[in-house]
Formats: sequence, C-alpha cells, structure tokens
Amino acid sequence: MRAALPMMLPAAVFLCGFLLFPVVSTMINSLYHDSPLTGREFCGLDNYRRLAGDDQALETVEFTFVFALSSVALEMVAGVLIALAISRVVLGRGPLRAVVILPWAVPTVVAAVMWKYIFNDQYGLLNYLVYGDSVAMYRAWLARPATARLAIIAADVWKASSFVALIALAGLQSVPQQLMEAARIDGAGPVRRFFHVTLPLIRPALLVALLFRVMDAFRVFDLVFVMTQGAPAGQTSVMQYFGYLKMFPEQQYGYGAAVSVVVFAIIAALSIVLVRTVGRRGLVE
Amino acid sequence: MDARVMCALATTGLLLAACGGGGPGETVTGITVVTWRPNSPGTWDRAIEMFEEANPDVRVELQTGPSSSTQLHDMLSQRLRNRDASVDVFVMDVVWPPEFAAAGWARPLDEAFGPEARGRFFEGTVEAVTWEGSVYGVPFFLDAGVLYYRTDLLSRYGLQPPETWGEMVRAADSVLLGEDDPSLYGYSAQMAQYEGLVCDMLELVGSAGGDLMQPGDEAAVRALRFARDSLVHLAGMTPPGILTYKEQESLELFASGGAVFHRNWPYAWALCADTAGSEIAGKVGISSLPSFPGGESVSALGGWSFGISAYSQHPEEAWRFVEHMTSPEVQRMFAVEVGKPPARRALYADSAVLAANPHFGPMEAVFEAAAPRPRSPLYPQISHRLQSFLHEAVGDPDSRIPRMAREAAADIAEILERAGG
Amino acid sequence: MRLLWTGLALAAVVLFCLGPVLWILSTSLKSPGLVDDRPPSLLPDLDAGSYRVALEGRGFLRSMGNSLLVAGATTVLTVLMASLAAYPLARMAGRWRGPVLGLVLAASMFPQVSIAGAVYRMLMGMGLLNTHPGLVLPYTGLMLPLAIWMLTGFFGRLPRELEEAAVVDGCGPWTTVWRVFAPVAAPAVFTTAILVFIYAWNEFFFALLVMTDPAMQTVPVAIAKFPGQYRVPWGELSAAAVVAILPLVAMVLLLQRRIVSGLTTGATKG
Repeated sequence: MRAALPMMLPAAVFLCGFLLFPVVSTMINSLYHDSPLTGREFCGLDNYRRLAGDDQALETVEFTFVFALSSVALEMVAGVLIALAISRVVLGRGPLRAVVILPWAVPTVVAAVMWKYIFNDQYGLLNYLVYGDSVAMYRAWLARPATARLAIIAADVWKASSFVALIALAGLQSVPQQLMEAARIDGAGPVRRFFHVTLPLIRPALLVALLFRVMDAFRVFDLVFVMTQGAPAGQTSVMQYFGYLKMFPEQQYGYGAAVSVVVFAIIAALSIVLVRTVGRRGLVE
Repeated sequence: MDARVMCALATTGLLLAACGGGGPGETVTGITVVTWRPNSPGTWDRAIEMFEEANPDVRVELQTGPSSSTQLHDMLSQRLRNRDASVDVFVMDVVWPPEFAAAGWARPLDEAFGPEARGRFFEGTVEAVTWEGSVYGVPFFLDAGVLYYRTDLLSRYGLQPPETWGEMVRAADSVLLGEDDPSLYGYSAQMAQYEGLVCDMLELVGSAGGDLMQPGDEAAVRALRFARDSLVHLAGMTPPGILTYKEQESLELFASGGAVFHRNWPYAWALCADTAGSEIAGKVGISSLPSFPGGESVSALGGWSFGISAYSQHPEEAWRFVEHMTSPEVQRMFAVEVGKPPARRALYADSAVLAANPHFGPMEAVFEAAAPRPRSPLYPQISHRLQSFLHEAVGDPDSRIPRMAREAAADIAEILERAGG
Repeated sequence: MRLLWTGLALAAVVLFCLGPVLWILSTSLKSPGLVDDRPPSLLPDLDAGSYRVALEGRGFLRSMGNSLLVAGATTVLTVLMASLAAYPLARMAGRWRGPVLGLVLAASMFPQVSIAGAVYRMLMGMGLLNTHPGLVLPYTGLMLPLAIWMLTGFFGRLPRELEEAAVVDGCGPWTTVWRVFAPVAAPAVFTTAILVFIYAWNEFFFALLVMTDPAMQTVPVAIAKFPGQYRVPWGELSAAAVVAILPLVAMVLLLQRRIVSGLTTGATKG
C-alpha cells in the first residue's frame, strides 16, 4: 500500500522523538558518570556494578517485588470478584459501573492523598473504624515499616482492582449464556461453574489485565512519592522511587538511569514470560 | 500572587512593545525570581513593589515553586543544570550553597557583597553561603531550633524550663501523670524521614558533644539511644505518629494543646500566639533547647538566602533586587509582618521588630550560635543516607545503633570518595 | 436468598469503590473545627468554606483548565495519529509487523520517571517549558504505543469486505479510514480516547517538572503542592480533591457504557 508510509509517518515521528530517543538516550546515559560536580564521563558498566553492591538499592528491589506480587495478586482476585458481582445486574447497571470505574479514573496523586488521610494517626478514618472513640489507642500506620507497606499495597489495590474489574467485566460479557445454563443444568454449583466455565473463557482478558498490572506495579512511583516518600527508614521505597532520588535530588543522572534500565529489564523479562503464556495470538494481533 | 504575575507579565509585555515602538530610549529588563510558595504573599508583593518603584527600569516576575524545600531544589536544579537562562534570582536553603557553588550554578558575589557588608549579618549565615573562599549568596533570614513549652502546665506543677533532655522527660512525665489526659503527650518534634529529622538529631547529638558525621562515636550513640528509648518509644511521651511528623503536624499537635514541649523553628511562635488558630495562645514560652549533662545546647541552623544564577543575562539588575530584598528596611518588614528572624544583627535591637517578635530578644544568642549541618556539595546524598539511618535508629525499638552507625559512616565515606559520580 | 447474597456483594463493591471517596467528600464539607476534631466524625456539618478557599485562594480552577486543555489536546492528537498508523499496520502482512509493534510496546514499558530528564532537555531546547504543548507532546509520545496497539488489534479484526467495498466505491486509503473504518471502530476509538484522556489528566511527574509556573499547573501537581508550609489543610485538600475528580466522575457516568463496550470489543477477542 503506497499510502502506508505517510499514514504511519506522524506516529513514527512522535514515537521516535518523544519515546524512543529519550529512552535510548537514558539507556546510553546509564553507561556514564553524570553529575553536575563530575561532569559526564564514560564509565562502562560501573553504575551497574555499583548498583549490585548498593544495599539500599537491593532493599528497594526486594520491596518492589513484594509490592508488585502482592498487589497484583490481590487486584486480580478483587477485580474478578467485583466483576462477577456486577456482571449480572440489570437495574442500575449504569451508575454501578460508574462506581466501579471511579477508583481507576481518580488521579493517582489524589488517591495517594486520600489514602494518606485515611491512614492518618490523628484524624484518619481507619483509626476511627478500628478504635472508635478511644483516641489514645490510635496508631500511626505510616510510621512503622510493616503497616506502612501494607498501606501502600492497600492504596494500590484499591485503585487497580477497578481496572482489573473492568477488563474482567468485558470478558464476562462475552461468556455465552447457553454454556452457563448447560453447566447449571448439569448440576454444577456456582464455584465449579466459575472455575470450569467462566474462568477459561475470560482467561485471555485476565491475562491482558495481568500484563498491564505487572508492568505498572513494577514502575510504581506516584503513590510512594506522595504517600510516604519511601519512609519509614526507606522501607517503602520502590525501585523507581530510588531511581528518582538518585536522579533528581542527588543529581546522579548516570546512576539513576542505570536503575531505570534495570527496572525496564525486569518488566521486559516478566512481560515476555507472560506473553509466552498467553500465546502470540493475544498480544500481537 | 497570580494576579501579580499576570500584572508583571502584562506590564512587561506592554513596556517591551512600547519600547519597540520607539519609546524614551529606556529599556525595561525583566528578571525572574524563583522562590517557594510564600505563606505571606502580601509581604513579597509589597517588597517587589518597593523595588520596582525605586528601579523603574526593572520588572520582577515572581515564580513561586512548591512549599517543600526538596521539591523546590529538584525544580531549580533541573533548570540550572540545563543552563536555563530564564532564572535570574533564586532562593537557597541553608544547605544548598556548597552544591550550587561547586556545580557552577550560583554566581560568586564577593565584590558586590564585600567584607564589611557581610559583617552586618550573623556569622553563621554568611558562612553558610561561603564555599571555598567565595561568597555565593546573601542571607535573607535565618532559622534556629528552639524549645517551646506550655507555661500554664509547667507552672501548675512548679516546673522550670528544662536544662537537660532528661529533665525535660521527667518534667513531661510529672505533667502527664498529673493531667491524666490521654490526648496529651510530652514532646512533639519532627521525626519523619526527611531533612528536618537531620536537624532535630543534629541538635540531640550535638548537645551530647557528638557529631552527625561521626555517628558511631559514643556521644552520638548515647544521644540516639536516648531519643529512641526515652522519647519515641517511651509510652505517652511522644505521639505514635511522630515518626511521620514534619513541621506542620508536630506544630498542629502542640497548638491544639496536645503536647507539653515542642521543638520547632521560630516561625511557630506567631502561630501559637494566634488566638484564631491556636488553643494555647498566651500559654506558650520559648527557650533554648536542652542539652545532655556536660554538653551545651545546640540549635540547628536553618534559613534561606538569595543567589544569582550564573546563567542569568541580567546579573546587574538581579543584584539590585537581591540587595533590595536583603536591605534593612525589607528585612524589617518581613520580620514584623511574617515573623522571620532577619539575618542582619542590627535588627535585633530594632523596636518594631522586637514589638512584633518579643521572643527575638532572648533568642538572639541562640541564633548567633546556631550550628550548621554538614557542609558539602554532596549534601543531598549525605542527607539521604543520614535520614534513613536516623529514622531507623530511633524508629526501631530494637535497632543496633553502633552497627548501623558504622554502615552509615562507611556509606558516607564512599559518597565523599566517589565525589558525585 | 440469592438476592440477599447479590445485594450484600453489591453493597460491598460499592463500599469498597466509593468508601474512600465518600470520606473525602465528607471531610470537604466540614467546618475547620470539625476537621480537626479527634476522634473524627463520619458525617460533615455541611460547611462549604473549604471549597471557597480551595477554589479562590489557590487558582485551582485555572489548574483544571490547564488539565482540560492538555488532556484534550493529547487525546485528539494521539487518537488521530494512532488511527492513521493502525490501518496500514493492521492490514499489512509481513514479518516486520510483529517486531515493530513489539518494539514500540517495549519502549513504552520504560519507567517514565527516568526519561523525564531527557525529555526536559528536549523541551527546553525547543522553548516549550511552561507551555501546554510542552506536556501534550511527551504525553502523546508516551500514549501512542498503547493507542496504536489497541486500534491495530481492533482494525485487524474488522472484516475485509468493508475495505473492499470502499475500494470499489473509489476510496483511497485515507478516506477508507475516515469514512469506513472509524464509524465501525467507534467503540474502540472511544475507549482508546478515554484511556488517553485519563492518563493525560492524571499524569503527575512530567507535569511537575515541565510546568513550574503556578499559572500553568495541572490538577495533580496543584494537589501535590497543596500542603502549606505551616499546616496540612485537610479540609481544603479534600475539597480540591473532590473538585479534581468531578470532571472524571461526570465523564465516567456519561460514558460508562462506552467504556465497557469498547473494552469488550478490544480485549476479549484475543
């Protein structure tokens, strides 16, 4: 098709200029020492060597994995449950769906502020729900590493379950009712029906959701930046937040770039694994 | 503030257009000033108005950044690193000048800001803007950590403002026992994992005779253990959220009557005394911070100065602005209206300043002796490392402080050795 | 019995999704005294003062305007270019198609925070800092891969008879896309547009770096910069948050059917 090239040109220009170029330039920069004090000098894999020995960096790798795996697992389950709950509803379907879409549509920054307030040690909703009027028993959820980590995970799960629910809902819409009827007639209970009929049919949709969520969970930044800034004691710092600290406040651009390349490599590797599971069919149409 | 910016921009536009059309031959230079978002925009507006009246050939565009120092630093460093010529004047937190100077972002001001001019400012503030023999900024105002206390509660139990930290804890204890109020705590301070933590710990460690850069020393370990065991983890002494408190939260607790003692910067005085927002107006006293037995009280030095960008195309006009903003008149205005301790010594004998800020008188010695944080162009990295060490040291009830201190010291040594790469 | 379970399940879903938002809504409608009350009260005393301060004192409406402009422009630009590019990609056979799509999608997996420095330098060089295009252009670049992927997939599944009919009618490839594909692909285009809009509206880090002038800020940046120097104004912050999500709520209410149907056609067939 002769018109193919000009049709693709605008998008190609944009992609090269605003995506590929910055990405490649950042990847190249990871091979340099680059800071306002030392200037820019080539150092090969030195940044990566340093990263491998950086205890704080390794701690963030650990938490990023913990965060990503637990959030994604919880989101997938919650999302499917939500989708199941609302898929059959006819009355009030519109507002109900709007309600479900809402957490996903809320800006992450707003959600982070909301959740920070919920976990507040003096005025927070969670303290009120758990301890009621006994103000003296109120806990500072964000002050201790374990509860702060749970808080970050909770905030992410809230937001992303909505996204998974939508995708799952879309998948559920396409489950033929006859199949469900047939299964019910056969005497299958709701649980068996779900695992043997529904789940296989919505698997492709779920795997799409899984792929997106895994990618986003490993790249999480806004949430940590607004809610905890990596505290307490750096225990809620994720890789991308660590990369940000190196790049911006500490002005170590080369080192920060190396962190991003590592995050990218992890995401890419995981995506390849997931795509292999889905089959080439699902991703590259 | 936004109307001001619009006005300034519009005026600049009109004037430039007018000049283009063959005006009286006088060009108007626009300079851009970057500062944090002021809590008192009116005072800034007036100061700028005064400047523009005295300097009709200069128009000032004020760009206000975030109110967080770290975010402002990010924003400024991005622009300066990329040699953005659109910034002329910027404010610098007390720890930034070495970094900005070593990176070549701040213009040296030795000639314009000569030795006798410098002598009129507090020595600590001048030292803060000096790096490798040159001066890179002009002090605007200073801050120093001070202790606030509830006069009504102390007098009720016959207590005096404490001289040592141990005394403070015991005094708080007596009050807490007597009051039996579950929402009253002994001490409110800033112990979130951020720059303020370094200040609070600098004061504790310094008053034990220790040094934050030698965290493994006996004095430092002792001070940190005290903070951990007798402040943070002593039931009822501090609010459980203190490990997430910055200035705002800790002050809010104190001002709503939730604490007996409070560590903060001088600005808190006005807020505590404000009958509209504070529940403890008229019941607040101020004193220097306690120390450990055998040590001296240490106050962390804070504050801001003005710097001129090395990439500015209007350094002369920029200097005029800086000179104006740090002049006695403008400093007095800020001291009276906003309550910021001026960096000029003479103003502490000024009747207007003292009338608005009676606590400046007794606190002058504290301001004079305030201790700086470690001075290095690599301070952001050092601070981050210290922050995570300090936060864990006082936050974890079972922290192994000597070992953590050794690791932190080793990391900091490595930072200094690597020198930025 | 079944009805009871469904009812409970639905209540749980609504509580889960709306709970935090309702709490913020309640806080925004409290008078300052009530906001600072310990223990906090669930219900507000219906005082709109926080809204007044949030909207007037901080130029919040202007931030909304900025966000609207940036998100709208990004959406239009992205959808246009993605639709154009998706057609040849969908119709072309060829071994290079897979790798190209893969490369493009891979590039979008790169952590966005890190390319901010490089993008900042580019924008500065082009003099686009503190301008609306300064955000629209990077956002478009970042969302194109996703948009292209979604539309390519969808276009690929459309029957070839559509084009054949168009060719018979004498339409060139450009016209084919506009007159024939677009109407049929409307749901997918719509969903893509909504995805892009939400992304551009919610994006935080680039906006923080590029828009340093408070008059040019977008909503997420305005919210993040809210906490004052002296106190954290939870009441006003809540009011700002509510105002920030109102347009999205409206959009979601009006378009929820399209969103779901677009995802249906987009996600399930693979």
